[in-house]
Amino acid sequence: MSQSVSAAKTEPAGRAGQFDMDVLVGTILQDGVLLSLALILAGLCWRYVRTGGLALDYQIAGMNLFQFVVDEIRLALHGSVRPRLLINLGIAVLMLTPFIRVAASVGYFLGVLKNWKYTVFTAVVLSVLTYSLFLR
Amino acid sequence: MVSFELLFPVSVLAGFIGAMGGMGGGIILIPALTFFGIDIKHAIAISILSVIATSSGSASAYVRDHITNLKVGMFLEMFTIVGAMVGARITLASSPRPLYIIFGLVLLGSWVVLLMDKYLSLGQVAEQDAFTRWLELEGSYPDLATGKTVAYKARRAYLGAPLMFGAGIVAGLLGIGAGALKVLIHDLVMGLPAKVSTTTSNLIIGVTALAGTSVYLAAGYINPGLAVPIILGVVAGAFLGTRVLVRLTNQSVRIFFLVILLVLAVEMIARGLRGI
Repeated sequence: MSQSVSAAKTEPAGRAGQFDMDVLVGTILQDGVLLSLALILAGLCWRYVRTGGLALDYQIAGMNLFQFVVDEIRLALHGSVRPRLLINLGIAVLMLTPFIRVAASVGYFLGVLKNWKYTVFTAVVLSVLTYSLFLR
Repeated sequence: MVSFELLFPVSVLAGFIGAMGGMGGGIILIPALTFFGIDIKHAIAISILSVIATSSGSASAYVRDHITNLKVGMFLEMFTIVGAMVGARITLASSPRPLYIIFGLVLLGSWVVLLMDKYLSLGQVAEQDAFTRWLELEGSYPDLATGKTVAYKARRAYLGAPLMFGAGIVAGLLGIGAGALKVLIHDLVMGLPAKVSTTTSNLIIGVTALAGTSVYLAAGYINPGLAVPIILGVVAGAFLGTRVLVRLTNQSVRIFFLVILLVLAVEMIARGLRGI
């Protein structure tokens, strides 16, 4: 195996890049979770103002993430904006947070670190996650 | 339908106790939710969704402190996400009773691991094997206590990978992060330093939980009415738990957590055997 040659060649750039990647990944995770919690809280407050209660009782009959959000946005475009829109968006952002983290990693391994091995590994993870999000 | 006013405090408490014991909220949350009459499959589905929030939240800080090993995480994720999808499918196909029993057994297993903590070892290997070297699984992290940088090399990735597939199955099956199991694999099999193994497992838990959540969402098991108070509660509880209390360093906290784990384990197994 020729691993030592390629490793030695990319070492200096690799280490600095790895450092920045930590910051990128950490920031995506933190901002994603915070945004999602903010959306859910906002939806909840809105609901409380409108109905005077906190109870949310709606079920989602088996659907994937995209239908889950698109249906609600379509309703909003037709003029029926409901607190549920923000709550669904909050749940969607939460689910997309690790997904975007993986997508950004693929880009970083490919574009900045030029590490083909890990570009493939992260791309496999991204493909499986994409498949799972489209499950019905 | 269980009310918001009940679900929220119960979830705060579950998140709090879980974080206090150095574990996620799910391990306490699921028994608590089923106790209040929520069907175990719905409890599992919501729990795994909330795991995305708690694990990503805590992972973010460790990643930016350069303690997490992204390569180790991303290599092992390939196995855990597939495992989580398989596990979630098994749960959907299963009847509730075996789920209670398996949950109880996993709790019992965590209890034993926590109790034995210091005595476990699996014959560390000194040399890094060719496969793990090819995977570039090594790194260094800043030790804040001594101010030095600690370098390490991972080992036995060929063994860690299939074991992590198993950990993924447990996570998807039971709706928990299965962090204790992942840390065990990192520590004992792959020889990662304790700090690196816990923080890297946190990173892996987030995507693993997402893969599981997708399966439950597609099957119609995510009910936002339940999800909202539970997510907010578990996140708030976990936040307080990690900040207010020092983890298992305090002996009385440790004993308290061990007792709770054992009670829940016995309870879940008994309910499974009795037929709930």
